[in-house]
Amino acid sequence: MLALDLFVNGLIIGLYYALMAVGLAMIFGILKIVNFAHGEFYMIGAYTYTLIALGLGVPPWLALPAAALAGALIGWATERWLMRPLYTGYGSWGLMKDEYAVVVTFGLSLLLINLFDKVIGPYPMRGPALWDAPRLSIGPFMMSGQKLITAAVAIILMVSLALFIKRSLWGRQIQAVAQNRLGASIAGIDTARASSIVFMASGVLAAIAGALLAPVINPAPDVGIFPAVKSYVIVVIGGMGSIPGSIIAALLLGVLESFGAVYLSYDYRDTYGLVLLILILLLRPQGLFGERAREV
Amino acid sequence: MPARPHPNLHTSKLRSEFLLSLAILGALAMVPLLVQSNYWLGVLIVSMYFAMMACGWNLLAGYAGQFSLAPAAFAMLGGYSTGLLAYHLDAPLWIGLPMSIIMPGLVGLVLGRIVLRLSGAYLALTTLSFAEIIRLVIYNSIDFTRGDQGLNVPALYDGRIGNYYIFLGVLTLIVGLIYWLLRLPLGRFLQAIRDDEIGAASRGIDVLRYKTIAFIISCAICGFAGGLYGTFARLVSPELGLIAQTGLVIAMVVIGGMGTLAGPLIGAMLVYTASEFLRDVGGIQMIVFAALVIIFARFFREGLWGLLRRVAVRRAASKGTP
Repeated sequence: MLALDLFVNGLIIGLYYALMAVGLAMIFGILKIVNFAHGEFYMIGAYTYTLIALGLGVPPWLALPAAALAGALIGWATERWLMRPLYTGYGSWGLMKDEYAVVVTFGLSLLLINLFDKVIGPYPMRGPALWDAPRLSIGPFMMSGQKLITAAVAIILMVSLALFIKRSLWGRQIQAVAQNRLGASIAGIDTARASSIVFMASGVLAAIAGALLAPVINPAPDVGIFPAVKSYVIVVIGGMGSIPGSIIAALLLGVLESFGAVYLSYDYRDTYGLVLLILILLLRPQGLFGERAREV
Repeated sequence: MPARPHPNLHTSKLRSEFLLSLAILGALAMVPLLVQSNYWLGVLIVSMYFAMMACGWNLLAGYAGQFSLAPAAFAMLGGYSTGLLAYHLDAPLWIGLPMSIIMPGLVGLVLGRIVLRLSGAYLALTTLSFAEIIRLVIYNSIDFTRGDQGLNVPALYDGRIGNYYIFLGVLTLIVGLIYWLLRLPLGRFLQAIRDDEIGAASRGIDVLRYKTIAFIISCAICGFAGGLYGTFARLVSPELGLIAQTGLVIAMVVIGGMGTLAGPLIGAMLVYTASEFLRDVGGIQMIVFAALVIIFARFFREGLWGLLRRVAVRRAASKGTP
C-alpha cells in the first residue's frame, strides 16, 4: 500500500517537473540553446500569483491567468531582445552561439533574482491555496486538494500543448523550424514568430508551475534555482529537445525521488537525479528518447 | 645564438597581454605601501581570490570554449578538501593545501571524461546541476561537514599583509602557468577546438583529451583558490559554492574580456572593488553586474580589454603609421 501511495505521489511531483522541463526542451528543440533563466520564469509566476492574490484580494483562480500572462510576457521579452540576435543579422554568430546563449541567459537569471530581491525583498511569502480542501481520500489514496488540482491543471496544460503542436498551423510551423530552420524559412514560415511562440509557451508553463506551487514553496527570489536544476537534469535524461522524452523523464525522476526519500535517505533525495544523470551520460548519452546528434 | 621562434600574431598578442598582466600584478604589489587599512587589504585579498577563479574559468571558457557553470562549486570543493582533512584527521596545511588542488582536479577528470564526450550545452547543464546538488549534500551532511556552520581551517599565515602577498604570489603563479600553457601547442589546440570542434578533430587533434585537460586544470585552479581562501577566512562554508558566486566570476571575465590573459584580472579587480562601493549605495551591486554581463555579451564581446585595445589601435592609426 505504501508503495502504491509513493508511486502516485511521485507521479504528481513528476508532473510539476514536467511543466518546467517541457518548456526547456521546446526551446532547445527550436534554437539548440539552453535557457538558464528558466527557473526565474517559474519564480515570476509564483510571485505574480501570490502578489495579485494577496495584494488585490482577487480569488486565487483569477490570479492564475495573471501568472500565465506574466510568464508569456517575460518569455516574449527574452526572445525579442536577447535571443533574436542569435538568428537575425549576424552571419558570424554561428560560431559564438553557445557562448552568447549561456552567458546572456545566465546573466538574465542573476539580474531577475537580484531585481526581485531588491524590489520585493528577500523574505519568502506565502501563496494562497487554490483549493483549501483538507486531506481527502480518493479510493485508497490520501491527498491534499491543492496537489490534486495541480496535477489536473498540469495534465490539461500538457495535453493542450501536445494538441497545439501536433494539430494547429502554428504548432506545425514550430515543428518545421525545429527540424530545419533554413528549410522552414524557405518554405515561407516566419521562423522568428515560431521562436517567439515557443518562448512564450515555455514562459507560461513555467509560470503556471510556479503559481500552482506557490502555497508550498513560499516564493522567494531564489526559489527558481532548484526546480530549474531539476529540469536541466530531466532534459538531459529525456534527450535534449525531445518533448515526450522530457515528460517521461520528469515522471521517472518524480517516482525515483519519492521512493528514494523513503527507502534510501530523505536528506539526499536531491542527489538521485544527479546519479541518474551521470548514469545516462555514461550509458546512453543521447538520452532516453534523443536521437544521436547529426551534423551536416 | 639559438634561433628565436618565428613571431606570429598568437604569441605576440599573448606576450603583450602577459606584460600587461604583470604590470597589473606589479601595481598590486605596491598597493600595501599606500593603503594601510586592513579593510581595503581584505577587499583586495578577496578580489584576488576571485581573480584566481576568473583566470581558471577563462582558460576553460574563453580559450577552449567550454562553459562550466561551477567555478565556485570547485572552489568550495577545494576548501572542503583542506577543511575536512584538518577537521577529521588534524592534517597540517602542507598536506591539506595540495589536496585542495588534487581533489577538485580528480573530480574534474571524472566529470570531464563523462560529459565532455558531448559538445554543446551539456557541460553547462551538468556542471550547474552538479554545483547545486553538491552544495546541498555538503549542507545536509551535518555529521560529516557540520552543515551550514562550516568548518574551521587553520591559518596559513597571520596578518593581513602576509596573506596579501601570499595571494598575490599565487595569483602571479597562476597567470604565469596559464601563459606558459597557452604558448605550448596545447594553447593553439584549445583555441582551434573553441573555434571549430569538428574542424579541429579533422586535423587530428584529440578533442576529448584536450578539452578534459583544460577542464581539469581549470577545476584545480579554482579548487586551490578555495583552499587558500579557507586559510585566509579560517572558515569554509557551503556559501562558497553559491550560484551567485559563480555569477560573479562570470561577470568578471565577461566584463574584463573573455579569451584574453589580462581581461579576467582587470575584471576581477574592477568588479569586486566596485561591488564594495555599490553595496553602500544600497546593495545594487549584483543588479548592475548582471545587467553589464548582458550588455557586454550583446554588444562588446571582447570586454573592457577589447575596448581599450580598439581605442589604442585607432589612436595609433590616426597618428599615421606607415
